[in-house]
Amino acid sequence: MKQTAPRTSGSSNAGLLRKTAGLTRWLLAAGFGASLAHAAPLALEKTELKFGFIKLTDCAPLVIAKEKGFFADEGLSVNVVAQPNWKTLLDNVISGNLDGAHMLSGQPIAATIGIGTKADIVTAYTLDLNGNGITVSNGVWEKMQLADPDLDTPTPKHPISAKALRPIVDEYTAAGKKLQMGMVFPVSTHNYEIRYWLAAAGINPGFYSSTDVGGRTGAEVELSVTPPPMMPTVLEAGNIQGYCVGEPWNQQAVTKGIGVPVVTNYEIFKNKAEKVFGVTKAWADANPNTHIAVIKALIRAGKWLDETDASGKLVNREEACRLLAQPNYVGADYNVIKNSMTGTFVFQKTDVQSMPDFNVFFKYQATYPWYSDGIWFLTQMRRWGQIPEAKPASWYAETVKKIYLPDVYLAAAKLLLAEGKISKDDIPATTDGYKPATSAFIDGKTFDAHDPVGYLNSFKIGNKDPL
Amino acid sequence: MQFKYRLLKAIDIAGLQILDPVVRLAYREEPKVQLKRIGLFIVIPTLTFIAFIGLWAWLAPLHTTKAGEVPTPKVVWQAAKGIWRFHERENTKSDDFSLGGQARIDALAAVDKRIGELEPQAQAANTAADAAETASRTHLAEALAPLNKAYSAKRREFADAVKARQTSLLELSQSVQPGDTTGAKKLLEAVTANATQSAAEAAEIQQLREKRKAVEDHKDPALAQARATSNALEEELQFLRKRHDLLSTGNNTLRLDELATKLAETKTVLASAATPAERLALSQSIIAQEDALTQAKATTYSRPWTLPDQIGRSLRCMFLGFIIASCVAIPLGLLCGLSRVVMAALTPLISLFKPVSPIVWLPIIFIIVGGFIPDPSNSAILNFFNAVPGFTGISVNPAFLASAVTVALCSLWPTLVNTALGVAAVDKDHMNVAKVLRLGVVARLFKIIIPSALPLIFAGLRISLGVGWMVLIAAELLSSSEGIGKFVWDMFNNGSSQTFAQMFVVVFVVGIIGLILDRIMIVFQRLVSFDGAPTSL
Repeated sequence: MKQTAPRTSGSSNAGLLRKTAGLTRWLLAAGFGASLAHAAPLALEKTELKFGFIKLTDCAPLVIAKEKGFFADEGLSVNVVAQPNWKTLLDNVISGNLDGAHMLSGQPIAATIGIGTKADIVTAYTLDLNGNGITVSNGVWEKMQLADPDLDTPTPKHPISAKALRPIVDEYTAAGKKLQMGMVFPVSTHNYEIRYWLAAAGINPGFYSSTDVGGRTGAEVELSVTPPPMMPTVLEAGNIQGYCVGEPWNQQAVTKGIGVPVVTNYEIFKNKAEKVFGVTKAWADANPNTHIAVIKALIRAGKWLDETDASGKLVNREEACRLLAQPNYVGADYNVIKNSMTGTFVFQKTDVQSMPDFNVFFKYQATYPWYSDGIWFLTQMRRWGQIPEAKPASWYAETVKKIYLPDVYLAAAKLLLAEGKISKDDIPATTDGYKPATSAFIDGKTFDAHDPVGYLNSFKIGNKDPL
Repeated sequence: MQFKYRLLKAIDIAGLQILDPVVRLAYREEPKVQLKRIGLFIVIPTLTFIAFIGLWAWLAPLHTTKAGEVPTPKVVWQAAKGIWRFHERENTKSDDFSLGGQARIDALAAVDKRIGELEPQAQAANTAADAAETASRTHLAEALAPLNKAYSAKRREFADAVKARQTSLLELSQSVQPGDTTGAKKLLEAVTANATQSAAEAAEIQQLREKRKAVEDHKDPALAQARATSNALEEELQFLRKRHDLLSTGNNTLRLDELATKLAETKTVLASAATPAERLALSQSIIAQEDALTQAKATTYSRPWTLPDQIGRSLRCMFLGFIIASCVAIPLGLLCGLSRVVMAALTPLISLFKPVSPIVWLPIIFIIVGGFIPDPSNSAILNFFNAVPGFTGISVNPAFLASAVTVALCSLWPTLVNTALGVAAVDKDHMNVAKVLRLGVVARLFKIIIPSALPLIFAGLRISLGVGWMVLIAAELLSSSEGIGKFVWDMFNNGSSQTFAQMFVVVFVVGIIGLILDRIMIVFQRLVSFDGAPTSL
């Protein structure tokens, strides 16, 4: 102990000096150094990094950046480590055991505004869009089919509305029970997605309040948390009758014959941000250049994943599936991962739908940290009562600015542009960070991020706020 | 002759008594008796083991689960080889990363040659797998078509029938006048008949669905085989392509050379730089490049944990916990044994905490340990452990320490209780002798009490070690500290076709290591026992 103490304090001092020197150097390099033939590399504050992920196919950008050498190209030696659940992952990022992680879009937002664990988490990169599905057990699917003849064919019409679930919900309620469904985390896209789907059909999924952190007040269907890889097991065990989770855990249910995916989140709301790359604000402040280098590698990974040939076929996805199938990454069978990663989605063995946008990693400028995506999540947190009191529109705009770091993203993108690794249309050149208003929702509502309160008030089921 | 007895003594102390009759037989000592003992101690256990494997191989395929078939011994052996292959491949990649000079060029050539060989094979296998998939799909569609047709027809028929019956019931109910008891009775009968009929129809529908489901769930062995072949080839190809990268563009030696060349170039440019601004920028660039070079020199291949490494880490974690437990339990046990007051004071606490499960301890300890380590990247405690010989290279982190402390908390009780018992049971005569000799407290402790209690202390330590090993797996699983427990959890979460077999591999790994640890403790226990107390099993 005596020997190590002076050494550590010395190295931290040196680190601090290097950090400040590094930042000025980077500014120089970005300013006019870039025009010189011998541009300086980013002065990295830290080169050995450890990132966490959950076994889901949308961790792909992290895996690809490592396996295809994009991290190494930036001089980073990165280890990508599986985490058992979203809570542990977040705790490990906060405690500093991990430098950064594959996170749910809602996690940095919730941590920052203090839903659950309070911590300043920021993000400069959106890992993907869409990529989730809702699966029901064989028993529930059978009841849905018997109740609705339109569903009782080998290839029912999609999207399937939660209206078909109504008789089953009523049956459970009449028996004095509640239909149980699983989602992965209280602030996950999956929670909002399954609630959106249920509520669009008039089924109340329950509200959160300061006294009800389980979100079951008034619920007709009760939702509970299960880590993604555990979902099929818990469904099979009969604890839940359905779940909403990312891939490959819906396809796993099809392959094992334990459930039927009924709807994907692409059908519930098109092209909504799904996972982000999250780090603590302290980490981002202490390692600005490393952060840019990481984002550079991730942008290249995203682009690689979404590369298509002239006919629009995703050319690198099969290789990506092989990499993800390695036991230290997602580890599910290649043939299961492939089902949803190569432009199709298998609802049933007899019902394979083409869905090229099921999981988008780069198209539609997906990787840019859009403020509007953050605001959408905030509206859902307010809608279901996770944010207990009414907030004005200005609060939404200010809050997302604390969490999303488009400047870091743009700094990385510009360096890549200068290196010729990406093209000009890959990144939004000028934007205020707001996507145009959209009504690509299963309930046809219009979401304009400039008017979050108006959007909130348009829902039949949900908290309503004064404008 | 003397050698024989020495050998027998060594075998006895090493806890390998099963070899005893073999040695005696070799020296022709009562061959009949020895043969009988060999039969009892060697042949019968071996036969039982073989019977167990046989029974397993026979029973496993009879039970299918949704996670796949219960693996047979052969499948488990394959899975074990798969785990080992993964480990070796990672070692190779790790070596490739820093390989330089002619060795790198040779390795690259070998890899490229192998890729050239494999690619056409993989291509063919992929085509075969695709064909098998199409065939399987067509077959399924063909098999399902008549069933689906029959099903839809029946559903339509029954739906119409239900509607018709409903209409007739309505008509019947309209014909019943108030006060018409026979009519009312008739109506009731009709309603009951309707319900029975509907139930029968539903049952028929159900039957058809089940028939259809059976067809859908049928697994096509030809497809599985074709996929397995293609996947195996593709996996190897992927490994080789990664090696190709690591030996060429991703190679660290090459990268270092490149950085050094670039640095030298920049230095030459600096010498001939024209404007002061350019000179400044170039100087800045040189410093940055030098930094990058230093960093690149220290870079190692970031290798994922593999089971053999995880076993090593688990063992260290358990020993740390075991040492902590012993350091707490033995002194406390001595105190308890020596003083009835201490014993009385501690008994409630011991009884209270002893039965607490590791799963309860871990989250508490995790939070407490985390409190001592505010910043894992720069913590004195972690730096200390990471510098301890034997712990270097396993990246000690809070999860590791929490697991070790959990092991300690759960495994200290047997040692504590046994030590107390051992001390309390020291022969009265010995104590009297000590009194007569007027031995001091310290001398009494080290000359009389501890030596007499040692056999029981070691018996306690042996139980503690066994408990620790069992607890450790659970602790690692919960804290996701790299080790066997995390391996189990990760593989379970993978939910791949290999998962089930990998779990069986872990059963044997954990069992064998536990067995070896127990044997080692037996040796220690026998070494400290004067009377050669029986410690078999």
